[in-house]
Amino acid sequence: MFEDHEIISTIEMVKNENLDVRAVTLGVNLFDCISHDLSEFKKKIRAKIIGHASSLVETCDQVGEKYGIKVVNKRISISPIALVGASFNSDQMVEIAHELNDIAKTVNIDFIGGFSALVEKGMAKGDIALIEAIPKALTETQRVCASVNVATTKAGINMDAVLEMSKAIKKAAAMTAGDDGLACAKLCVFSNIPQDMPFMAGAYLGVGQADAVINVGVSGPGVVKRAIERNLAEQKLTLGRVAEIIKRTACKVTRVGELIGREVADALGIKFGVVDLSLAPTPTVGDSIGEIFQALGLSHIGVPGSTAALAMLNDAVKKGGAFASSHVGGLSGAFIPVSEDLNIANAAHKGYLTVEKLEAMTCVCSVGLDMVPVPGAITEQTLAGIIADEMAIGMINGKTTATRIIPVPGKKAGDSVHFGGLLGEARIMDVPHCDLEDEFVTFGGRIPAPIHSLKN
Amino acid sequence: MNKLIITVLAKDRPGIISQVTTDLFELDCNLENVNQMILQEEFAGFFIVEAPEGLTPESVQEDLTKRNNGNGLTIHVHALDTETSSPFDSTGGEIFLITTIGPDQKGLVARFSSIIASFSANIVNLKAVFKGGKDPNDNVMSYQVAVTPEIDTAGLFAALRQKADELELDIRIQHKNIFDAINKI
Repeated sequence: MFEDHEIISTIEMVKNENLDVRAVTLGVNLFDCISHDLSEFKKKIRAKIIGHASSLVETCDQVGEKYGIKVVNKRISISPIALVGASFNSDQMVEIAHELNDIAKTVNIDFIGGFSALVEKGMAKGDIALIEAIPKALTETQRVCASVNVATTKAGINMDAVLEMSKAIKKAAAMTAGDDGLACAKLCVFSNIPQDMPFMAGAYLGVGQADAVINVGVSGPGVVKRAIERNLAEQKLTLGRVAEIIKRTACKVTRVGELIGREVADALGIKFGVVDLSLAPTPTVGDSIGEIFQALGLSHIGVPGSTAALAMLNDAVKKGGAFASSHVGGLSGAFIPVSEDLNIANAAHKGYLTVEKLEAMTCVCSVGLDMVPVPGAITEQTLAGIIADEMAIGMINGKTTATRIIPVPGKKAGDSVHFGGLLGEARIMDVPHCDLEDEFVTFGGRIPAPIHSLKN
Repeated sequence: MNKLIITVLAKDRPGIISQVTTDLFELDCNLENVNQMILQEEFAGFFIVEAPEGLTPESVQEDLTKRNNGNGLTIHVHALDTETSSPFDSTGGEIFLITTIGPDQKGLVARFSSIIASFSANIVNLKAVFKGGKDPNDNVMSYQVAVTPEIDTAGLFAALRQKADELELDIRIQHKNIFDAINKI
């Protein structure tokens, strides 16, 4: 029998601390659907995805009910469309996006990821067609997510792709101007993109993966925050002890994710992939990364000390996750998405968190400049420069970084934007000198891969 | 086989287990299972022993009572029925924790356990702590219930939730494995 405190603390985690399984993502390999004929290709991908996913939502709900832990989002990731649809032009790529959107509606999932390309070393015909199709595809669909990997530690940074992505982001924003550039909220640019990530908008199924696989994204910033607060209320702790508490809490949360993920996978007859324990916030109070910083004694996320706190948090989460499961993957760390976290959005609005500080913090967290609304007047060159900077952080440090930047048409720093739902709301962050048109990013070519010795 | 089950009740204090097990050893009884619990300040112990042929439940009870005269122990001894198996078969069953949180009311355990029984589900463990006061977490009932495939699980859970609603209690029904995952590392 369990002790009283074990029962109460488990129930509290779910009831008051927002512990949930943030995403169960079904990965589906589409390489056996390749065809030169678009209708045949669409027919095959529809049959294959629906074949695997027809009972995904129902199964997740049943398993969630059994354990009393809600599976918030059920999603699908697929093989990169730029690869499996390499023979198609950009108009046909848009048609594929529509087909994927319709499939997502049919199986009742909120997002399907994998409208993606991997171009760190160069762009092939399919990659160019996909990147060209992204603005229209994301404007005309609701559930399709796109990602493009433009850099890796081993390949360097494809600066041609960086500039193309900057143009695609600006165009996607312009095409969804009435919705504050919403299409850009479904578009990530990556360095070192993980092949097994369950979180959107960057989820896709890598080429080294199984035919179908279940990856699970677990969150729990509220649980971590309350664990810190509870322990600090009882005694004064050193940061080493606080890190230990975060690690233990992360371990528990990861085990919940693995338990549920494996059961969903078994029920669907699909292999279990990884648990991605990432502290991913929502706009709900009590489900915030920013609030963890306040529990750690910082007045706001973004003030001096924030990078150190984030480094400790990110590392402790990874250690806890790695201890809990032999199959930890994806990003596994802490996210700091501006509009998706009410507390972070407020810190940005009040000036405690700037774009420059945010970039510095991404050196030690698990993603990058995420859900950052910037002035619509930002130039392609400046936007490309920000993307290149973020990619360089990932490339040099051998870690994933990404940008999900929304240049909001017709709006300037300080104006409000509202994306709705989990995407949240925020004030537009100031980007100093965003009207510059510096040449650096237009030189093109590839920034070479970094040396892997002489590190200091 | 001469198996006996011995129950011992007493005001809790150091030395109860030591005294009883020493007595059983001196009676040449082999201890097979022991379990004990303390409810508030009351000790309750259960001992299953294999006794030598010739010892009867009555003789063991008389002997143990005589040895512990004045110790405040209430002792009962019964023969253990090893011939008849339990009518309840939990093979293939899954254990769920049904936890209610909220103010104490008379008849709570009776109301919930009768619903569980009406669906032929077996309570394998029950813990109820009612400390009173305003903190809801001080008034918690937790049943571990074996739910076999034949049981109408949805109906059982719906009935329990409806009863909790009527009594204004917060109820959580969760598979045992989630508690293992979080607490048993």
